[in-house]
Amino acid sequence: MTRISCAAIAAALTALCGQMAGADTIKVGVIAPFSGPFATYGTQYRNAIEVYVAQHGNKAGEHEIEFVYKDSGGPNPDQVRSIAQELLIRDRVDYLAGFTFTPNALAVAPLIDQSETPTVIFNAATSSINKESKFFLRTSYTMWQVSEPLAQWAFDQGIKTVATTVSDYGPGIDAETAFRAAFEERGGKVVDAIRMPLSTTDFTPFLQRVRDEKPDAVFTFLPGGPPTFTYTKTYNENGLAQEGIRFLGTAETEEVNLQGLGEAAVGLTTAYHYSGAHDSETNRAFTAKLAEMFPGAVANWSSVGAYDGVDLIYHMVETSGSDGPAAIEAALGREWESPRGPLKLDPETRTVAQNVYIREVERDPASGQLVNREKGVIANVGDLGWTR
Amino acid sequence: MSTGDGMGLFLNILVDGAAYGMILFMIAVGLSVTMGLMRVVNLAHGGFALIGGTLAHWAGQDLGLAFPLALAVAMLGTLAIALPLERLVYRRIYGFGELQQVLATIGLTFLIIAAVNLWQGSALLPVPLPESFARPVDLGFRTLPLHRLVVIGSGLAVIAGLWLLLDRSRFGIRLRAAVDNRGTASALGIDTDRIYMVAFGLGALLAALGGILGAELLPIDAYYPLRYMVLFLIVVAVGGLGSIAGSFAAALGLGMIETAARYLAPDLATIAFFAIVILVLALRPQGLMGKVSA
Amino acid sequence: MKSWLTPFLVLALAGAAFLLFPYNLAFLTRILIMILLVLSLDLVLGFAGIATLGQAAMYGTGAYAAGLFAVHASGNPLAGLLVGAFAGAALALVSGLLLMRTRGLTLIMLTIAVASLCLEAANQLRGLTGGADGLRGIRMQPVLGLFPFDFAGQTGYWYALSVTVLVFAGLAVLTRSAFGLSLRGIHESPARMAAIGVSVYWRQVAAYTIGGGIAGIAGALAAQITQLVSLESYSFTISAEALIMLILGGAGRLYGAVIGTVIFMVVHHVAAANDPFNWLFVIGALVLFVVFLVPNGLVSLPLAVTRLWKGARHARA
Repeated sequence: MTRISCAAIAAALTALCGQMAGADTIKVGVIAPFSGPFATYGTQYRNAIEVYVAQHGNKAGEHEIEFVYKDSGGPNPDQVRSIAQELLIRDRVDYLAGFTFTPNALAVAPLIDQSETPTVIFNAATSSINKESKFFLRTSYTMWQVSEPLAQWAFDQGIKTVATTVSDYGPGIDAETAFRAAFEERGGKVVDAIRMPLSTTDFTPFLQRVRDEKPDAVFTFLPGGPPTFTYTKTYNENGLAQEGIRFLGTAETEEVNLQGLGEAAVGLTTAYHYSGAHDSETNRAFTAKLAEMFPGAVANWSSVGAYDGVDLIYHMVETSGSDGPAAIEAALGREWESPRGPLKLDPETRTVAQNVYIREVERDPASGQLVNREKGVIANVGDLGWTR
Repeated sequence: MSTGDGMGLFLNILVDGAAYGMILFMIAVGLSVTMGLMRVVNLAHGGFALIGGTLAHWAGQDLGLAFPLALAVAMLGTLAIALPLERLVYRRIYGFGELQQVLATIGLTFLIIAAVNLWQGSALLPVPLPESFARPVDLGFRTLPLHRLVVIGSGLAVIAGLWLLLDRSRFGIRLRAAVDNRGTASALGIDTDRIYMVAFGLGALLAALGGILGAELLPIDAYYPLRYMVLFLIVVAVGGLGSIAGSFAAALGLGMIETAARYLAPDLATIAFFAIVILVLALRPQGLMGKVSA
Repeated sequence: MKSWLTPFLVLALAGAAFLLFPYNLAFLTRILIMILLVLSLDLVLGFAGIATLGQAAMYGTGAYAAGLFAVHASGNPLAGLLVGAFAGAALALVSGLLLMRTRGLTLIMLTIAVASLCLEAANQLRGLTGGADGLRGIRMQPVLGLFPFDFAGQTGYWYALSVTVLVFAGLAVLTRSAFGLSLRGIHESPARMAAIGVSVYWRQVAAYTIGGGIAGIAGALAAQITQLVSLESYSFTISAEALIMLILGGAGRLYGAVIGTVIFMVVHHVAAANDPFNWLFVIGALVLFVVFLVPNGLVSLPLAVTRLWKGARHARA
């Protein structure tokens, strides 16, 4: 279909929407996994959104905001595209949000371009997604954004040789490329780059190989859940820590499954943009409210991705209502304080520039729980993968 | 010793391959009993492993029981769930066609997953093991966590026990008679219902044990049965239906091959694994030690 | 029932669905694509008796072939469908030469292994396929040069419906032909068919190849309508769900494939919309209900009810 007729339909829909719903209710469609093995993401998003609404009310400026939740299951672009169509046409949402997996976000790019719908990505971390439509905004992070600072920090700590072990798929390869480029630019040496099959259940062979190579550290990227659990256990049980081979990671020690990793997690070093134990007023308010509303829930990076995403949506609604292009204009360059620290929506990459923290897993003496303790910070890092 | 030198590499592959193969055997042996011996296409095998693992997590973590006690609670609990299910569901599908069995057991798997999901959520459910299991044991040329040795020991004990039970006891003879020809066996005064129930209970117990002992490599979460379903099936199919020894050989062989591929060519490990499965099954359609039957 | 009545009713329902659910066309289109895949499985499993849990191999290959064709060669939808069909059939033929020599569990495992190999190959060839990010850049021309794909998915729906109807009609003819009857014969007794001089092996290879072509068309349609192909096209989940849908509806009958798919997808859609966290309870219960109470599939439900009703009436008379 030509651009003109699309725009016409979109305009007609928007006009219709304005008449039907009245100017004061703005709908936000949240597409996320609420079923299946990745349902934790959906739960985390939803909890965070409800906490935000409880803290800030359901009105942004003069507009009331309503959230419509839709289940995407796992990575499933076919389903996500049809859900997005339904949300845009039937539910007449003015904003889309969520998106845990890269293909799911990519699948809606042609749609949001036509309907001019601002779409806030809460998680998917491949840099190039935002190039597919100027209506994508991202409040999570990109692989490059956390991997590169980690490499620089490691080099500055005196780590000169590293073996990389990443899961053999898109995000893993991104992480490997980013870490390697930054580490070697500084003068470090990557002695071995192992790509581990996604279906790996026993990581012993890879870690035994790394152990025999005796690098200063091993950098890793794994999808969350079972692989991370097994990898960190194997790392410890095969004595890599005792040999002085340091663990360098990113999302591996995220808070939801952190307690499940047990003692094996203590001492793991990661570079990431959010720790549930971040010491700030905003974070304490957020985590306290979360614990109050949802007993047993823990905040992790997907929680703040959603929390900050909603904050951004409130800002857009307040300034621009349902006018998509104006909302994007209003969002670009915005600076605000998040539970993770200061944020700025970079006008060029449309991904937030943020602090990347170097953390180490410790057992908190007060609560007895494992926490990601911040040990260092690299301030205001943008999406370093944008121009790569 | 370094992986760079040939002998060290070979020993590493041997040790890690055997340890991994034993874990594969432990998680698949229950299926070898229900699907291999009893001839039910039991896609819910992982479901029983999940029940065992979840109960062990609950008993160990939430109730704070010591590992042996948690293990006992989990196995008895699994049995207490499996036996009524045998009467309610399985007894009715023994005579069904394969596809109906596939559908019934997958429906059951969905219900088990949904129930665990509702009870414990969809995050990881770690099974607390004794501290000592994580301790590295010195093998001379390298170390191995005690946990792997425990699994190897359990695997050997299980195969010895099953051999005694199935090949050397009256129960084994009756089970074979009941599976081969139920009518005749009944006519001969064998209580086939009871034999089936005991055999099914045995399969479920082994599934639970395998789920718990294997949880270090195949961690328990609500979606465990679907995530590893193909892996269980491959071990049993490559080993050959009806042969516990076949499953044992297949598990060790596949474990060795996959471990070797991970040491030598990680990028190609998955392709190599499935290529070998295809090759073995193409050359030996009945599996390594399967009985030739129509 | 008159032979023209059922197809007429089904077509009328498809037309009514368009009018009744104008906002759900994308979902209805997904149902149609899934019906195509389940129909391909019905030919392979329901008619020819080839047990498979790897139909996604051909579906995914059709999707990637059509997607790559659109990106690198031409955005013509019909040409893309042909490419998808050819790719699916080619893979089915090559793998079928080996697979059709085996039976039962071995066959099932081999079909799973083929699909897994395809998945890993697509993951490794990420320069070509986009790997886990998905194959992007698919832009389609108007269907027949006349009907551009629109935002609401109207063209997509009619396009997918036309393809599904044509494939269904083709299968209806095929399954009534001598070839189709011989497949049924093979399903019931391979030994007897071999005894009367039918080459069981080659007929099964042929059936598997045709089924692969249809699965390839389904994949190609999905690629063209979503404008993205992901690794999930090869996933075990797709093969397994297609199998569940087929047995739910009733294997060996073309309408069974249609009914099973519609019911499964609608139940999923409704249950997942209301309580995604617990929707597996619903589908698990539905599956067990069918196995125990309607073992021939939901397609036989009206017949079973009619019989019951007639029986009751006779009893009263």
